Amino acid sequence: MEEKKITSENEEMLNIKNLVVHYETDEALVKAINGIDLVIKHGKAHGLVGETGAGKTTTALSILNLVPDPPGRIVSGEITLDGEKLIAELPLTNEEREKLEAEGKLPPCAPAKTEREFEHIRGDKVAMIFQDPMTALNPVMTVGDQIAESIRLHQGLDRAAAAERAKEMLELVGIPGIRANEYPHQFSGGMKQRVIISMALACNPRLLIADEPTTALDVTIQAQVLDLMRELRDKFDMALLMITHDLGIIAEMCDEVSVMYAGRIVEHGTLEDIFDNTSHPYTQGLFNSIPNIEDRKSDLKPIRGLMPDPANLPAGCAFCPRCDYATERCAVEKPEKIWLSDTHCVECHLYQQGDTAKKL
Amino acid sequence: MSNTTENRDILLEVRNLKKYFKRSDGYLHAVDDVSFTLERGKTLGIVGESGCGKSTTGRAILRLTEPTSGEVLFEGIDVTKLNKEEMRKMRTEMQIIFQDPFASLDPRQTVSQAIEEPLRLNGIIKDKKERFARVMELMETVGLAERLVNTYPHELDGGRRQRIGIARALAMNPKFIICDEPVSALDVSIQAQILNLMKKIQRDMGLTYIFVTHDLSVINHFADEIAVMYLGRMVEKAPTEELFNNPLHPYTKALLSAIPVPSIHRKRERITLQGEVGSPINPKPQCRFAGRCPNATEACFASEPPLVEVSKDHFVACHLCK
Repeated sequence: MEEKKITSENEEMLNIKNLVVHYETDEALVKAINGIDLVIKHGKAHGLVGETGAGKTTTALSILNLVPDPPGRIVSGEITLDGEKLIAELPLTNEEREKLEAEGKLPPCAPAKTEREFEHIRGDKVAMIFQDPMTALNPVMTVGDQIAESIRLHQGLDRAAAAERAKEMLELVGIPGIRANEYPHQFSGGMKQRVIISMALACNPRLLIADEPTTALDVTIQAQVLDLMRELRDKFDMALLMITHDLGIIAEMCDEVSVMYAGRIVEHGTLEDIFDNTSHPYTQGLFNSIPNIEDRKSDLKPIRGLMPDPANLPAGCAFCPRCDYATERCAVEKPEKIWLSDTHCVECHLYQQGDTAKKL
Repeated sequence: MSNTTENRDILLEVRNLKKYFKRSDGYLHAVDDVSFTLERGKTLGIVGESGCGKSTTGRAILRLTEPTSGEVLFEGIDVTKLNKEEMRKMRTEMQIIFQDPFASLDPRQTVSQAIEEPLRLNGIIKDKKERFARVMELMETVGLAERLVNTYPHELDGGRRQRIGIARALAMNPKFIICDEPVSALDVSIQAQILNLMKKIQRDMGLTYIFVTHDLSVINHFADEIAVMYLGRMVEKAPTEELFNNPLHPYTKALLSAIPVPSIHRKRERITLQGEVGSPINPKPQCRFAGRCPNATEACFASEPPLVEVSKDHFVACHLCK
């Protein structure tokens, strides 16, 4: 396996700055992502937690420039992968910038690579595992051919050599290489997800994006797949963006966590920050909603109400209508990012600059 | 089991329930000789992975799929022997809530029509006005706002749709409800709302539940007793606390250890099972878990272990737990 050298001096694998993504339909402007920052260091695992519609998957798709356009549009922001700009802000003169700021608009951005260049990045430097292994595979191609496809494309191996590599990859994920000639329907759900993982890892990516990789699987199979992912991550020293709604998986797999709500990262920190010093009321609500397997007598304290309609977000903090701590200020003013420590930040009016974390 | 069931108010007793599906390559043993009793007002959780027969068990009890053999005694009456008309009456006492609130509602029915339907079809309340009053009462019980009365399912989120499913099940004033993965399709914050609602309704109306799920942390919170199924067999059954503190069957142990715990301090020893669930078609007369069991011995491949009571109320089907 050919080692890809870390090309940049800095230690950041991925840097997302102030990303804004909208879906524009005839009926509404859906604000899916409203200015998020996210940094993943080389070889680190970063968890992205949130509920349906929080913008987790759109974040992942933005990195690969796969947001369906139309109706989706990356409105502003910058995405840097291993020192290379993928999405860049358009250059503006100071005058233009001031004018935009005065109008309250964000500087526009555009892909900094051509579609052809993106094709080289996808599957090679960055790979993605999708939630549903049943629909992510081509039913009329053998799994071996599907794995070999990306190897041939990115590494320029000939057909026979690629097929050989595909078998090796299958064996790496615990499937006998001889099964490379079989079709997806001959595999069970857990096996299909392994095939997809082997496909994603075939070109030794530096960043793996896993979007709910085990949600469709049974718990004992989920345990196998998570063990495998952890093992392979250590082996290949790749960075991981783990998208999930399951805080249990985050606790097992990740180094850092970002909690998303209505297109914002409302709390971010290390595992200790998030699990031991839970500071945002939404994060606290998430923890209280999970049945605690260690303490069955405790009552579930659900978050009341529903996630706001992303086409019609509240003027102030998006969580305000459901928040037990909300004040008048929360209804009108969007909270800014406040750093509670070097690693822990939160967007909530309960805190002021200079505050440290307080367990809610 | 009979010696332990004395002096208890048994609502449901299932004896040797079997459901086989005929396939071109043999019989698929979806539910294979399952027996249990359920006390009035209690919740039995049935857990297991895809294809273990947990949903089929629930459906066979209600005869939504005809059992191949076995008895289902509901308040002493064997429902498998009832004719169509008697079964129809019986179903007003036994209801079901389905997993997918997106698929189980008619998209062309408004909320009130959906909740009214069972009342109308069973002729429970003949007067239209009274019926509407009952619909409003049910909507209040399940926490649906009055203004939603004329909305259609597509206008509502998953949590609200599941509330309609619950209201429909409650419409007949049943004694017993089978909840088939009622919160699996919902986000955690909504899931907790629905679980709390179901618990409250159970307390208020004295309902008995069978709660079918793959999610052990949910069941831990909800059930008084838990039955673990594997490939059509009930492999272990015990009071919830006992099952979590003292699991005996190797499959139960593996299942419990596989749950990701949302805590960074408790690192538990994980038993990772090798391989995958075997085929339920014409299974061999051996322990169905033997192929994946880390402790399997020759005996496990020689015969199928029966479900036996190893301590009070704790039943296990394993050659190694005697």
